[in-house]
Formats: sequence, C-alpha cells, structure tokens
Amino acid sequence: MSAAAPAASPGALLEAVGLSKHFGGVLAVDSVDLELRAGETLGVIGPNGAGKSTLIGLLSGALKPTAGDVFVDGRRVTGLPPHRLARLGVARTYQIPQPFARMSVLDNLMLGRLYGAREGFLKARRECLEIIDRTGLAEFADVPAGSLGLLRLKRLELARAVALRPRILLLDEIGAGLVESELLELIELITVLRREVESVLIVEHVIDLIRACSDRVLVLDWGKKLIEGDPDEVLRDEKVTAVYLGTGTRQDLRRKAAGAAKRDAQPLVSVRGVAARYGTFKALHDVTFDVYPGEIVTLLGANGAGKTTTARVLSGMIPASAGEVRFRDERIDGRKPHEIVRLGIAHCMEGRRIFTDLSAEENLLLGGRTAPSAEERRRRLADVNELFPILHEKRNDSGGSLSGGQQQMLAIGRALMADPTFVIFDEISLGLAPIAVDALYEAIAALHERGVSMLLIEQNVERGLALADRAYVLEKGVVALSGAPAEIRSDPRLRALYVGEAKGDT
Amino acid sequence: MTPPSPSQALGGSLLAAAAVAAALVPSFAGDYVVGNLGFRMLEYAALAQAWNLLAGYGGLVALGSGAFIGIGMYGTAKLTLGAGFPLIPALLVGGALAALFALIVSPALFRLRGLYFVIATLVLAEALQIWMFNWNGLGGSDGLFMTNAAPSPSERYYLALAIVAATTLLLAIILRTRLGISLRAIRDNEDAAAQMGLWTFRTKLWAFMIMAFVMGVIGGLQADYLGKIEPGGAFSLQWTVDIVTIAIIGGMGTLWGPLVGSLFVIWLGERLANHPETHVAITGAILILVIRFAPYGIWGLLIRLKDEASGRRRRSRLA
Amino acid sequence: MDWPSGHALATALVTGLLLGGLFTVTALGLSLVFGVMRLINLVHGELLLVGAFFAFELGLHTGLDPLLSLVVIVPVVFLVAYPAERILLGPLIGKGAEAPLMTTFGLSIILVNLFVLVFSADTRSLQASYATDSIQLAGIDIPLIYAISFGFALALTAATHLFLQRTGYGREIRAAAEDAGAAEVLGVNVARAYGITYALGASFAAVGGVLVGLAFGFDPSSGTSWLLTGFAVVVLGGLGSLKGTLVGGLLLGVAESVGASFPQVGDGYRNFIGFMVFLVILAVRPRGLYGRTG
Repeated sequence: MSAAAPAASPGALLEAVGLSKHFGGVLAVDSVDLELRAGETLGVIGPNGAGKSTLIGLLSGALKPTAGDVFVDGRRVTGLPPHRLARLGVARTYQIPQPFARMSVLDNLMLGRLYGAREGFLKARRECLEIIDRTGLAEFADVPAGSLGLLRLKRLELARAVALRPRILLLDEIGAGLVESELLELIELITVLRREVESVLIVEHVIDLIRACSDRVLVLDWGKKLIEGDPDEVLRDEKVTAVYLGTGTRQDLRRKAAGAAKRDAQPLVSVRGVAARYGTFKALHDVTFDVYPGEIVTLLGANGAGKTTTARVLSGMIPASAGEVRFRDERIDGRKPHEIVRLGIAHCMEGRRIFTDLSAEENLLLGGRTAPSAEERRRRLADVNELFPILHEKRNDSGGSLSGGQQQMLAIGRALMADPTFVIFDEISLGLAPIAVDALYEAIAALHERGVSMLLIEQNVERGLALADRAYVLEKGVVALSGAPAEIRSDPRLRALYVGEAKGDT
Repeated sequence: MTPPSPSQALGGSLLAAAAVAAALVPSFAGDYVVGNLGFRMLEYAALAQAWNLLAGYGGLVALGSGAFIGIGMYGTAKLTLGAGFPLIPALLVGGALAALFALIVSPALFRLRGLYFVIATLVLAEALQIWMFNWNGLGGSDGLFMTNAAPSPSERYYLALAIVAATTLLLAIILRTRLGISLRAIRDNEDAAAQMGLWTFRTKLWAFMIMAFVMGVIGGLQADYLGKIEPGGAFSLQWTVDIVTIAIIGGMGTLWGPLVGSLFVIWLGERLANHPETHVAITGAILILVIRFAPYGIWGLLIRLKDEASGRRRRSRLA
Repeated sequence: MDWPSGHALATALVTGLLLGGLFTVTALGLSLVFGVMRLINLVHGELLLVGAFFAFELGLHTGLDPLLSLVVIVPVVFLVAYPAERILLGPLIGKGAEAPLMTTFGLSIILVNLFVLVFSADTRSLQASYATDSIQLAGIDIPLIYAISFGFALALTAATHLFLQRTGYGREIRAAAEDAGAAEVLGVNVARAYGITYALGASFAAVGGVLVGLAFGFDPSSGTSWLLTGFAVVVLGGLGSLKGTLVGGLLLGVAESVGASFPQVGDGYRNFIGFMVFLVILAVRPRGLYGRTG
C-alpha cells in the first residue's frame, strides 16, 4: 500500500471512497464517495441505470470495484469475498428475492446465524425462531421458502439478513413490486427491525419508503453522486426533479400538430385489463389503453411501474395472465413472438439486445428475415441505411464495437427491417448522452411522417411527451393518468408519481 | 441438532425396520441371493447414497466415482495381501485413501463451476485409470489376485448392509446439522449462501470427502467379491453410469431414493440376466423418461401418489 | 530422462500435427453443440461409433468404401438426429442444465448397449488401402489416413465457418447462440435452430467416427475416450470458437505424439497426456486459447 492510500473517516461505520465499477465499456459507478454513519439510515435513490444495484453489489462484496475502496468500521475491506464481509457484519437483501427455495424458512435463517453470526446450533435455532416470529412468518417456519408469496419472500429476505446479526443492513430495492398496503406493512417491519442493527442503507426507487425510513438521502445519476442531505430538501430540489422527469428538449422536436391527430374508429392496438406476472411477482394488475393508427402513444411511469412488462406482453415474450390484447381487432395475446412479428408488430427491446458477435449488417438482415423476398429485404435495408447512414458506414463492424448511441440506432433499424405497422420503443434514451438521444428522436419523428404507429416507453418524461399524441402513466401495474401531453405535463399528480408526496403537500 | 418431527420419526423407524428386515435375509436365503444379488443391491445402495450426498443435496454432479472406488479397491487389496491387515481396518484405510485423493484434487476442482466441474471429474477418473493401466507398481494391466482368505458371502452381505445403513444414518444426521444446511444452501443458491457468511469451499470439501470415503470402502469390499482386480474394472466408467442411473431413477435429494433405486435397477438386471445389453438399454430409456416426466424419481412418484391418495396436496417438497 | 532422437522428434511433430486433424474432426460436433446450445453432449462418443458401425455394415454388405459411404451416412444421421433433438432435448430447455445433460447420458448408455447387442463387443476396424498405407514427407513416414484426416479437418472447419458466417441459417444460429430471447422476438425459430445445430454436430461426429475406424479400430466402449479427447480439444481451444477447435486439435495431437515419443513414456500414456493437458488448462486458463469469457 502506498503512502497515499485512502483512509477511512472516523465515525463512519461503512464508507466508500472513490468507488468505481466498469462493466466492459460502461462505467456503472463513477468515483462515488459515501459515508454511512453509526446509527443512521441512508437512502440512495436515482433513476434507472444510475448505478444503485451495482453500488450494493460493491458494498457487499459480490462485485469487485475497478477503483476505489470500501471500509467497514475503519477497516479496509475492498475486494474481500462476500462471506468475509458477512462475518464482518454486512448483510444485504436482494432486489429479486433469492431464497433457498427447497429449504424451510427456518433453515434459510439458520444458515446466516450459524455461519455469519457464528453461533452455536441450539442457540441459533432459538434466536432464528424468534426472528421468524417478529417478522410475521411464524406459521411458515417449516414451509419450503420457494412456496411463499412475494411479500412474505421480502419478509424472509429481511429476516434472513437480520439473522446474520449484522451491524450494517443493505436493502436493495426491497419495495419493488408491492402494492400500497403491502408497502405499508414492509415499512412497518423495517422500522421495527431497524432497532436491531446499527446502520441501514436503503437503495430504492419507491420514494414513499425512502421518505418514511431515511435520515439522509443521497441521489445517484449516471453512476455519480448528484446531491445528498435531508430527505425533504433533497426531494424538493429542482435538480433531482429534473433527473427523474427529464430536462427540456429541443423545440424543433416538439410535434407541431400534437393532439390533433384524426382518430379512426378502430384502434390499431387495443389492450384491455391485462395482468401479467413473473412467478409470484405480479407486475401488471389491470392495464388498459389504445393506440390508434398513425399515433405516437407514450407510456410513462416510475421504475417498476410495469412499462417493460407491458411491452413484453404486446410482443409475445411473456403471456398475459388476464385480459386481452388485440391488433386490428384480432386477439394476439398468447401467441408466440415470431408469429406476432409476422403480423406487423416490432419490438425494439429495453437494453437494445443487439447481437454483439454479428456485424451491424447481419443484425439488420436478421431483423428482415420475415421479408417476402430478398429484393424486398434489400429495399428495406436501403431504407434503414438512409435513416441511419452511420449503420451503412459501419455495416461490417461487429455489433459489440459500436458506441451506445450507434447500438441503439442498430436496434431501432433492426426493428424497422420487419417493415412494421406498429413499433414498440422501450427506453431508447437509456444510458445515452442528450445529443445521441436527439438524433434518435429525429429518426422517430421521420418514421412518424411515414405513418408508422408507435408506443414509446420513456423514463425521461419530457422526451416522451414532446413527440406524443397521447400519453398514459403507469403506476404499480395500473394506468394512473391518461390524456394529451399538455394535460399530463401540467398535472400535479405526475410529479408525485415519480418523486412522491412531500409531507407538507396536499 | 434439530430434533426430528413426527413424520421424520416415522420415516426413520421405517428405515430402521428395513434395515432389520434386510439383516434377516441371510437366515433363509441361499448363497446366491445373499452373496451376489443382495450384496450388489446393498453395495450399490451405499454408493448411490454417497453420491446422493454431493449431487442430490449439494447440487454438484461428480461423474468420476470410478476414481474413488478404484483407489479403495487397490488400497484394501494391497493392505490385506501385502501387509496382512484384517479386513475391516483395511477397508477403512482404503476409504481414507480415497478421501485423501479427494482432498488433494479439490482446491483445483472446486474452482470450476457447473458443467466444467462435471467434465473435470470425468476426465480425472479416466486419467487415473490410464495411469493405473500403465504403472506397474500395482500390477499394471495384469492386476492383482486376491489370494488371501475371502470373507463368506454372508459376511460380505452384512458388511455391505452395515455400510449402507451407516451411510444413510450419516446422511440423516448431517442433514440436521449445519453441514446439511450449508450443503443444501449451496445447491439452492450458491451466491446467496456466500453472502450469508458461508465459506462454500469447506462445505463442498466435506461432502466430497465423505462421498469418496464411502465409495472407497465399498471398493475395498468389491475386491473380495471379485477375487481379482485390474484397472479396467476398478476404475471403470461403468461405476458412474450405474450409480447415476440408480440415483436418478430412485430419486435424488431424498434418503429413500438411492435405496429404492438400487433395489429396482438390480432387480431389473436379474430379470433380464440373460440379456444384459437389453437390460442396460432399457435402463437408459427409463432414465430418460424419469428425467422428463418424474424428476424426483420413483420415490418422488410414490410420495406423490401417497399424497394424492390421502387427499393432501403438498405444494412443494422440502428437500 | 532420455530425449527422443531428432528424427523421432521430427516424426512426432509432423505425425502429431496430422493426427491433430483427426482430433479436430472428432471434436467439431461437440464444439458446435456446446457453443450454440451450451449443452455437453455426453452421447457424442457414441455418435462417432454410429458412423463407424454404419460404415462397417455398409462395407460388409455392399463393399462400399468407408469414405465414400459418408455420402450415405451423413444425410441419414442428420435426418435422424434432428427429430431426436426436437423430441428428447427440446422440451428440457429451461429446466436447468442437468436435465438435458443426463438425457444425453441416458442416450449414451442405450446406444453403447445397442451396439453390443447388435454388433457384439468385438473390436473392429474399417478396411481400405489408405488406412494402412503411409507416405513419405521429407524423409518422415506418415500414415496416409492421418493426412486424409487433416484434410477433412481443414475442409470441415472451413465449411462450418462459411455456413455460419455466410448463410441465413448460420446467422440465425449465431444469433440464437448469443441471445435466444432476442432472436425469438425477431422471428427466429430458436427450437429449430437448436435442432439443426445438434443434427450437424451428430453428422460431424459420424464423419469423425469413420476416420477413427480407419485409423485405429473401434468397439462399443471406445466412445468414452473419444468424448474425453473431444473435451480436451474444445476446452483447450476455447468454447464457442471454431478456430479454437482447429488449433486445439492440432496442438493436442502434437502434444500427445511428442509426449509419447519420449522413450520412458511410450504409447500407453498417450491419452493420459491429453487428459493432463486438459486438466492443466482447466486449472490455469479455463476459457482456453480463443474462448469468450461468457
């Protein structure tokens, strides 16, 4: 260790100094300094892609930092494996519960007590049963963990972490996927368990939970620390609102005739009462909306509201557990993805999901495989190349070698190669600089001129509303707001849906 | 230790009853049933049970059983022949040697995850077999003759019974201790287990060594059964094939599975004794069907039938 | 320790390189199936034997030359393996890695015993003049069959490369190999892509089997050692890399031959060297020469 090695600050139970993490070309966490003092609860918030989950991974030892250090009670723990950190008193919960499914609830807790807290068997058993009692799982002590419902699984996550007798508790998006009443129960549980550990760090996007539980709040954006301080102040700060709702966008990209689109009698796409689940996790409860021919409909909502799940149900990637989806008045829910593609629906997926091993042109050709003839496919390819000239230039380069913005163009181009009547764009602005996003939206506007109907899923509210004919806002799996962009933009409930209600507000 | 629940106590009594019943067999059955059929059922039950510990409860599929059985076989043979050891200590030392081999290879082996681990165990066993073919220190490809006094069929039978009973008891005990919890946690979610403070390597090592020990002891017993040992048979892949087949068909991850599996497969072999290849081909077909339609094996099927008959629908099994 | 003579070493190098071509052919199918489907095809060794036995029977009943009989064998194997994969392995995708693995294991033991039933456990070899001839290359005696195998290795690797890189089917297979979900959304029939891949793998195995039958001889139990040799090649070269399989095969051939040329070592330890190489690679650099870290 060099003489210039960073040392921990006194009084900090958990500390990160200059913490960074690279994943390939992406800098997920960028020189973050963070201090969790003894006795406090620190909330960490930020939009999707801000680096919150990576941060938990780094602090718990599951991920090794590319740079920077982590200290626990003044002791440098950077790079230690997870089980060592657990024994030093760091416990975490998982965003998607990771129980030991075939073992009983009691045994799930026993593992941490025996190995993490290093207690004797009989004493550990007593203590674990007590914790199970206090976390409301008493009747499930001998039941296999895999059979529990979502809320109980989250209780189990908490119970398991507490069984470790930790000094520091790291909660990773524990509020995700819960409805109002469940959330209140969880907040209550956290408040009770809070007293058994020294400090808690909560990473969340459910703002209510942050407000209820945190002493201080830290905001991450693009992997960097943006601001930290008192919860109410931070959540009222303009910068934070901008990060969630997006900043203004170029005037020329706002549609001139917004809202004046003539409506056909029949919607092109019709979604009625759709519900969908991932195992026990019910992501959509009751989603209803329409897209008329030639429209751009924007779907907004906070993280975890169900936007991507909706996209997946539309393109057939996951089945709807209730309700129906119609395309041109024909039911398409339950059909396979490759059948739905042939009907004229294209899905530009979240995270791009281009094939990094294939060249740009090969990616595009794959998108055009449903074309009736090679000639038609070449015509479409020429079209896409005209829309995105850079793709023609880089046609023989591998997908993996393109920049983020170029990859997104490739993803869009690939979707367009199916010559669709209806395209779903899922979070195309994610992780891209504003200039790159401007270019993308120009292309989308051009597409719109050609009469393609679109569902635009956007986390950046301003961007999403700028081009829309109509918009819907999802919250926890249901449609909470709907209307013309101007109406939505000025609705006070919008801000609340993203950043929550402050204690002094209505 | 966790005290057993009522249903577990019932299961335990049934196992004990089965052991007693098995012990009574030699008093009325002939030499063939005792020394050959019964012996093989018991020894394969023990082998499958040992394999079950690592694969069924730990989630680590090791395909190199031949290595440990062979080491035990040669170890015991050398000790009883050359050094004049009495049988039981020789068996134990043979088992210990197998466990030692497991210890030596484990640091490298357990760094591999998933399919890499599986292939590596296979290659390890094959490499060992080739080494034994070529190295003349222990008889090379000619092998060794067991020229000392062999135990009687019923002696072998009782030894095998003792081993399978001890192994099953050991598993039952382990499953109630911290080793059992840590092993199953690794099977269910290795990363989360580490996050809870478990040093996964040590747990894997214990299970691996126990499995190797039991296999080594059975290998030693096998030496007397065969009368002559040579590398082809001692370290053969056939051991793995038979063990895995029995464990999967019987039901992995349960105490009864390997026992039931061994009974069924060996019995099937007896019925088709005059058509050995048909027997194995059919066994292979049954294996494929079980994997597809009854992932918890015959024992799992029996449990499901019992539950449905008694009107209870269990959502999922504790394992 | 005695070193081999210069001539012996040179012979070993050249022979080993050509022998490596044979290793490559026998490993190609395994590599393809693992690279695309992430499946370890434990029945691969027996698929080699399918080719060998098939050629044997054709030779016996029609006098057809083994290499020529490939014209019949390859299509038949392909057409049988495709539905086999769709029916037996297809439904198991997504149920964990063990289920398909153990199914191929089950297939393996069925096939081995079918072979013994139908053909008996005798060792056989495929007869042809070129199987035993040797040629002279710069004063070194080389078995002709090794040179032929080397030719096959180059041809098959090139053909596979062209198929994957230049055809529509190949493109779909590569896409499915990288991200099956995304491929599905684009309309690729991933289940069919897997079936084609597996059938190709089986066909290549059959080709390898005929070459093995010509060069070495075979019996129903030979499958295992060729399966393991295949593993060694694939791991050495790197999973998911065609170039790696070619290079890995050649290297392994050289390593085994050179190792066996040391007087103390002798030919008995030939396979052993291969396995040692394999284990060392796994311990030191599991992703092999050209493998991706994925």
